[in-house]
Amino acid sequence: MAVRWVLVTLDKALAPAALHTRRYTGSMKSVAMLQGVTFQRDHGFSMHIDSLSIEPGSMTLLLGASGSGKSTLLWLIAGLLRSTSGSIEIAGERLDTLHEAGRDRLRARRMGLVFQTHHLLADFTAEENVSLALMAAGESERTHHARSLELLASLGIDRPTAKASQLSVGQQQRVAVARAIACRPVLVLADEPTASLDAANRDIAMDVLQQACRTTGAALVCASHDPSLASRFQRTLDVNAFVSQKVVA
Amino acid sequence: MNDLRVVIISLRARLLSTIITSSSVAVAVGLLLTMLSLRTAGFDAFQRGTGTMHLLVSSDPSPLVAVLNGIFYANAPSNPIAWEKYNQIRTSFPYDWTIPIQQGDSFRGFPVCATTNEFFTKFQPAKGEPWTLKEGRFPEKSFELCLGSQAADGTGLRLGQRAELTHGADSVSGHEHGDFPYTVVGILKPTGSAHDRAVFTDLESTWILHAHDRREREGLHELTTVSDLTESDRKITGILLRLPTRPGSDASAALQQQFDALRRDTSIVVAQPSQQIDRLRSIVGNVDSLFLALGVAVLVSSGISILLALYNSMAERRRQIAILRAMGLPRGRIQGMVVAEACLIGFIGGLAGIILSLVGGVVAAAALKQNIGLVVDPSLDLRSAIIVLASAVVLAAVASLLPAWVAYRTQVADHLRPDA
Repeated sequence: MAVRWVLVTLDKALAPAALHTRRYTGSMKSVAMLQGVTFQRDHGFSMHIDSLSIEPGSMTLLLGASGSGKSTLLWLIAGLLRSTSGSIEIAGERLDTLHEAGRDRLRARRMGLVFQTHHLLADFTAEENVSLALMAAGESERTHHARSLELLASLGIDRPTAKASQLSVGQQQRVAVARAIACRPVLVLADEPTASLDAANRDIAMDVLQQACRTTGAALVCASHDPSLASRFQRTLDVNAFVSQKVVA
Repeated sequence: MNDLRVVIISLRARLLSTIITSSSVAVAVGLLLTMLSLRTAGFDAFQRGTGTMHLLVSSDPSPLVAVLNGIFYANAPSNPIAWEKYNQIRTSFPYDWTIPIQQGDSFRGFPVCATTNEFFTKFQPAKGEPWTLKEGRFPEKSFELCLGSQAADGTGLRLGQRAELTHGADSVSGHEHGDFPYTVVGILKPTGSAHDRAVFTDLESTWILHAHDRREREGLHELTTVSDLTESDRKITGILLRLPTRPGSDASAALQQQFDALRRDTSIVVAQPSQQIDRLRSIVGNVDSLFLALGVAVLVSSGISILLALYNSMAERRRQIAILRAMGLPRGRIQGMVVAEACLIGFIGGLAGIILSLVGGVVAAAALKQNIGLVVDPSLDLRSAIIVLASAVVLAAVASLLPAWVAYRTQVADHLRPDA
């Protein structure tokens, strides 16, 4: 009994303040709006975006070679990197003026991220990986399990209690998609989600990702070096043309 | 999903490391609590042998030696007190009782205490706990023995069996009084005091034994009887005294006055046993503190092991932290999870340590009873347990600060690259 009391108390102490987890319902022309954004790195890399708008439910391919700055742009939109100047607005909220905790909260509630190597937590089950995203978004703990199972089932995962490390690459990719859309984001940012897949699996993976975004109504910005994906997207942006990149040093 | 579950899954993923680190905390907490528990219980147990006596008179060099010899049978007292002196002390004040004891002989290594019947009827080895017999009766005539519980177990003697005592405290240096066989008439129940190791008999037979030695040295070889005893044969080594008290009270108003009065006699040494045991406690207290310091050092080292285990795991966990951060978990919350992980290790280890100390206390108490006849209560002091448990958790939290700082400083973008 005492042990349980301590664990519960510890849990309460660690739990974040209640977060409002309403789904974003406001009307907006863009889910992400970047204007005059500049980003500079110490070693001379710099990037400038005059204007970039991502419309709700749109499918955007961000094309560019490795190292061209695709990931950097995605991390700027996600708030994982901080712009040097300019404004970034996500779902009507200024991201660039928020402090780090605010950017974290906005990311958790409005955005979903998909990575090239999926970045699932190997020691966690598929269900737990998805539940983590719900936890981060501040969704009620009671809903985590059911919502995760529902999402995984909808994406064809029949072993939700298997550890991520025990799943096939294809299944891991589906779990990563489930995790990204778990909090009903307005924007999904995918960084080279098909880079490590062959052509057949690439198509399957993109089908899953795009279908999931359409179902949830989320806009998708997908960074890739593969021009053959362009036909799948309404808009293709060449990161080199769109982003001003120069070596200062 | 909640933060605690993330912490538990994380601990479970490194099960071996978790078990080893928790075990080190458990051993430290167990050791500390066992020391704390036995320290108090041990000294309480020492007080038991003094029982209901107020004063102990002997001719030993100091009051502390008098108590160690007279109550704990540490050594055979070397300086006797004449019977005449005993009578003089007995009649000098209206004592509640005065009981003479004579030590110096042994039986198979167990000390012999020759005394009067009042030792069993009036003196109590622990307050409120009079002597009780396991079987038989107390000695009533000469050459009868009554065995303390450990002496009975150690010698294997049973009621009605005969035994020959050894002159001297050990069977190597002493010689056996073969002409005077004793008969076992009683076996005492355990008292939890040093008296359990003793073999009790009456004064007269002891005097006869020693008078026989004297007479043999004088060339008189016929068997010695009571009528052969001279005044110089009637020697004792100690006197247990109790002053009159008010009903329901163990204290005597005249104690200090009588203590001072007896001390004026330079031929004897007077001790207030409980005072001497407190003195012993203060002497041994330094060693006791050293043991406690060692216990604390072990606890600190277990904290260091938590630090190392967590810090080493950080290298492989940076990507995990980066993923959690990318999902929107704030730095502080992840830092809190690392601290919570350490606290949980401290808490689990602390609880295991409490169980360990309970088991250890029972084992140590059994060993103390078996080997030195000390009865200690191994029960756990709840306050100490809570303090030590809280200390383990706080120490673990402090130990986790460095790994938590590493977690806090983790750069998300750097660790999300496929080649990171």
